[in-house]
Amino acid sequence: MSTTTDTSPTRAGAASGRPRPGGAPPGTGRKPGRRDLAASLPWIGPALLLILGVVLFPAGVMFFNSTRDISMSGVDHGSVGLDNYVEVFTFPYFWPIFVRTIVWVVVVVAATVVISLGLAQILNKAFPGRRIVRLAVIIPWAASVVMTTMVVYYGLEPYFGIINKFLVDIGLVDTPEGYGWTRNPDTAFAWSIVVAVFVSLPFTTYTILAGLSTIPGDVLEAAKMDGAGPVRTYTGVVLPQLRGALSVAVLINIINVFNSLPILKVMTGSIPGYDADTIMTLIFKYIQNQHKVDVASALSVVAFLIVIVIVAVYVKVVKPMQEV
Amino acid sequence: MKKSLRLSAAVAVAAAASLTLASCGFGGGSGEGDAEGATTLDLLVPSYSDATQGLWEDVIAGFEEENPDITVNLEVQSWDNLESVIATKVQGGEAPDIYNGGPFAGFAADGLLYPAEEVVSAETYSDFQESFLANAEVDGTAYALPLIASARALFVNNALLEQAGVAAAPTTWDELLDAATKISALGGGIAGYGMPLGSEEAQAEAAVWLWGGGGTFGDATEITVDDPANLPGADQIKKMIDAGATQADPGSTDRSPLMEIFIQGKIGMQVGLPPTVGQIEENNPELDYSIVPIPTQDGNPFTLGVMDQLMAFQNDGDKQDAITKFLDYYYTSDVYVPWVEAEGFLPVTKSGAEALGGEEALAPFLEVLPDAQFYPSTNPQWSATDAAFKALFGQIQTKPAQDVLTEIQAQVDAS
Repeated sequence: MSTTTDTSPTRAGAASGRPRPGGAPPGTGRKPGRRDLAASLPWIGPALLLILGVVLFPAGVMFFNSTRDISMSGVDHGSVGLDNYVEVFTFPYFWPIFVRTIVWVVVVVAATVVISLGLAQILNKAFPGRRIVRLAVIIPWAASVVMTTMVVYYGLEPYFGIINKFLVDIGLVDTPEGYGWTRNPDTAFAWSIVVAVFVSLPFTTYTILAGLSTIPGDVLEAAKMDGAGPVRTYTGVVLPQLRGALSVAVLINIINVFNSLPILKVMTGSIPGYDADTIMTLIFKYIQNQHKVDVASALSVVAFLIVIVIVAVYVKVVKPMQEV
Repeated sequence: MKKSLRLSAAVAVAAAASLTLASCGFGGGSGEGDAEGATTLDLLVPSYSDATQGLWEDVIAGFEEENPDITVNLEVQSWDNLESVIATKVQGGEAPDIYNGGPFAGFAADGLLYPAEEVVSAETYSDFQESFLANAEVDGTAYALPLIASARALFVNNALLEQAGVAAAPTTWDELLDAATKISALGGGIAGYGMPLGSEEAQAEAAVWLWGGGGTFGDATEITVDDPANLPGADQIKKMIDAGATQADPGSTDRSPLMEIFIQGKIGMQVGLPPTVGQIEENNPELDYSIVPIPTQDGNPFTLGVMDQLMAFQNDGDKQDAITKFLDYYYTSDVYVPWVEAEGFLPVTKSGAEALGGEEALAPFLEVLPDAQFYPSTNPQWSATDAAFKALFGQIQTKPAQDVLTEIQAQVDAS
């Protein structure tokens, strides 16, 4: 979160029209700037190298690969221009998968944030055993995502799954071996959303909890003095103050949820066809089933651009970085 | 969610990065000549059972004792990962020297493999059963060494058949449908026929039905999944599903977990493999079952044979002698037969078949082996076909049979 509060127009860059907080005043001291850079290079150099090596270089290779023809056993047969992208977009299931990806991101993030707001509110109150409850909320975070998902997956199995057994025993499912929740695309996708929300809760809850603890008590007291009820206090005082924490939580969740593979891979892995896939699992299927590293790279590039667009739309519409 | 890194992107990128490095000449062969004159062989194998690693370790220990100048590095991978691991290694110029896998024609087409004759002695080569060797040929040259074979047969739960009033195990599709429907009607979660069309091994169950109705997947030069001859089998699958003669959701049920249910005695009939005998022995020895040939449309005996192979990658071309020594050692009867026996498969060498001829558990399978039909695995497109079946065939549960066959063919043709 930016801590800059000064957005006065005097600092706006002439060309971009955007604030340039902390930037050197234009026209003065170009040379000192270069000297500063030289002096700082040894300090930031290693970090720059790291970014170059583990972020920019692999991303570059990904772009490069997306224009190559790579055989199933991994031999590069030269450039094919944009053919791989054509294959991605002409794949008959691409648009349904695209829509499902958006549904996946929106539903998971929205549900996570709403539930986390409530959870954080509870955890912010003092009550006996709060420490233990706070600890319990962290557990899904501490456990491996694949492990958590496997537990649910086995619970949902017909014949021996404990969730199925329970549903049969209380009479909600009338086939004695249970229902194939993970065998049908719609139910498997719905359960994946439940698991995704569950594993996203701890991070989001704690981010909001941190936000709650920054709200000074006297503000709440003032609201009370002015006669605001609990609902009014929450919507008028608490939520606006949470804007910073919420924007961070939502942004990070959007990116994480969009790029999430393991949950869907485990929950929908045995379903034939492409009726429960998102873009991430489709990339995985290109690599795992069809060994098309080239097409998978092209789809990864597309996914990368989609994330950027989603984030850009979010930043533009919600303006999370703007101060209250 | 925090830990869910961008796995697929990372895999692609890592693979790609190693490719770029390799093509710049930084990759190089793996572990060559570390000590003076010593040769290191990399061996990549899949895990057939929990015992696989130990069995290979025993083979390697025995071999290294006889050949102190050769070290063998063993890497065991699960079947799920095997093919992506080998693709990544090949891409990175780090191909293993010896690899145990299924499809090999793609590697042969890329010129990566030694011909089989060049990596075993003449005696070892002539000990392979001809039919298996023929199945490993591309354009008349065998590029892979048969390793193990398996055949399939129908496992029948005698007790359930009796309860449902079915007199004898079915031999034709009509009898099978009738028997399975009756068993399913017993209720209580009992399924008549276990039909695993999920991604694990959809191509096997598909072959059982499509070929049993006179269909084919194609041959070494052409893949013909979308063929009228495959329709009777596909339609029969739908008939079984629609009649409720199978377990629920066959389209997304994997084979191994379903076999467990059969072993628990809740499924009337299911197609199984030689190792299934051992599984039943271990987990539910009380199960009253018998093994019969797979029912077909006209009742003629048929089985789906599967053969796994060993293949030798050329890499830098300087390890041919060491590879030959290792493979000759491995295929000697004293080493090979206990290995095959422990894994519960069928041997591919003549000497091995003689040695195991008296095994009672293997008898029903050795019996059907002459009628075995194999996947067209020498076709370079077989890997793609295999993958397409795994990813798409289960849709037959909800989609028209013809559409599914067309879609699989389209995916194969696009590869």
